[in-house]
Amino acid sequence: MKLKYFIPLIVFIPVVLIQLTVIPFISIQEIVPNLLLIAVVYFSISNGQIFGTVTGASYGLLFDLISGNLLGSNMLSKTIAGFIAGYFSGETRRDKYLYTYSFTLVVFISALVDAMIFSFFSVIDFNTNFLQALFNHALLPSIYTTIVSILVVVVPYKRAFN
Amino acid sequence: MFKLFSNVWNQFKEYLVLISLVIISLSLLTQNNNSQVQKVRALAFGSFAAVTSVFYDVFNITQLKNENVVLRRLNAEMMMQLSMLREQGILNRELKGMLGFKDSSSLPLTPATIVSKSLSITQNTITINAGKTEGLKPGMPVISYRGLVGIIQSCSENFSIARTLKNVDLKLTVKNEKNRLNGILKWDGEKLMIVDVPRTYDFDVGDRIITSEISSIIPVPIPVGIVSKIEDDKTGLLNLIHIKPFEEVLSVENVFILMIVENAEKNNLELNFYNR
Repeated sequence: MKLKYFIPLIVFIPVVLIQLTVIPFISIQEIVPNLLLIAVVYFSISNGQIFGTVTGASYGLLFDLISGNLLGSNMLSKTIAGFIAGYFSGETRRDKYLYTYSFTLVVFISALVDAMIFSFFSVIDFNTNFLQALFNHALLPSIYTTIVSILVVVVPYKRAFN
Repeated sequence: MFKLFSNVWNQFKEYLVLISLVIISLSLLTQNNNSQVQKVRALAFGSFAAVTSVFYDVFNITQLKNENVVLRRLNAEMMMQLSMLREQGILNRELKGMLGFKDSSSLPLTPATIVSKSLSITQNTITINAGKTEGLKPGMPVISYRGLVGIIQSCSENFSIARTLKNVDLKLTVKNEKNRLNGILKWDGEKLMIVDVPRTYDFDVGDRIITSEISSIIPVPIPVGIVSKIEDDKTGLLNLIHIKPFEEVLSVENVFILMIVENAEKNNLELNFYNR
C-alpha cells in the first residue's frame, strides 16, 4: 500500500485542529477560510480526480462528525469540490496548477462550488432570495479561502507530500 | 459480462466513484436524526474534542482560568437574577401585585469552556468541555454573563456540541421585554431576526429581547439581544425585526449551561423543536 493514500488522513488532524481552534480568531463577520478545502484541492491536483473525490468525501464526513454540522452536507460538497479540482490534475497540468498562482484559481472555483452546495442544504428558506443567499454565503467565504490558499503557493515546500 | 463492467469502469470510473459518494452523502443527510448516527457522532466529537481542548488552551493564552471562572459564574448568576428581577418588576406593575410568583432566582448553572468553534455562515456550532458526566442533556440553554449563546444539541460523556444563535436550525420563541409581545427568532444565514411580526405590534429600535416563557426550549427569561432595525417584509403586512445579540460567539470563551430541560409533555404539544 502506497504511503500517499495515508498522507491525507495524517494531514487531516492538524488541519482540522487549526480550522476549529485557530481559524475562528481570524474570522471576519463569521466568515472563515476553509483549510480543509484547500487540502482537498491540493491532494486532488497532485494525485488525480478519483483520489481527490475520495479525499473530499472522507474529509467532509469526518468534519461533519466532529463539528456538529448536518451529517452529509460537508461530505457532499467536498466530494464534488474534490471532483472538480481533479479536472486540473494530470501529468502535464500538475506543476502548472499546483505550484503557481493558478492553484488559487482552482481553490476559488472549488470553494465556490463547495460553499454553494453546503449553503443549499443549510439554508432552504423560500422566503429569501435564493440566488442572493447563495451569492452571499458562497462568494465571500470562497474569496477568503482563496486568499489564504496563496500561502500554499508561497511557502517553499514543493513535493513534500508527493 | 466481466469485460463489459471492466470497460465501463475504465471509461467512467471517475463518474462512478463520484455518483457512489454523492448517493452515500445524500443518504446520510436523511439519517441525521437516526439514534445510531447520533451515537457515532457523539463518540466521534467526544474523542476529537479531547484533543481539541488541549490545542485550544495553548492558543487561548489570555484567559486566567480560575479567576475568570469564579468571576464569570458570579456575573452569570447576577445576570440571571437581574433578568428575573426585571421580569418580576414588569409583571408586578402589570398585575398590580395581584399575583404571587415563585422565587426561582437560584437557577442551577454548570460552568464550561469552549474547546472549539465550527464557524460557517449558516451552521455555527461550539464544542464545550462538559457532557453527560456533568448532567448535561440536549436542549439545555448555554449562556454567558451577557446573555444566551445557544442550545445543547448533542452530548458525549465529557463534551457537548451546542448550536449557537447564528445557526439556521435553531429557532426560538422570544419576546419584547417592554410590551411582552412574542415572536420567533431565527438566523437566516445573514441576519438574526424575529420573523412574521404583524406591523401593528409595537417594536422599537433599542427594545430588549428575552426568551419567552412559552418557549418549549427555554422557559426562563434570558437576555438575547436588542432590536437593531425594523424592516418591512415583501408582503407589506409584516415586519422583520433585526436583533443584535448581546453575546457574540466569536468572543465568548467561557459559558454556563442552565441545567433545565423544559417539560417533555409540553414539548410534545409545541412545535418549537431544537432538532430538525
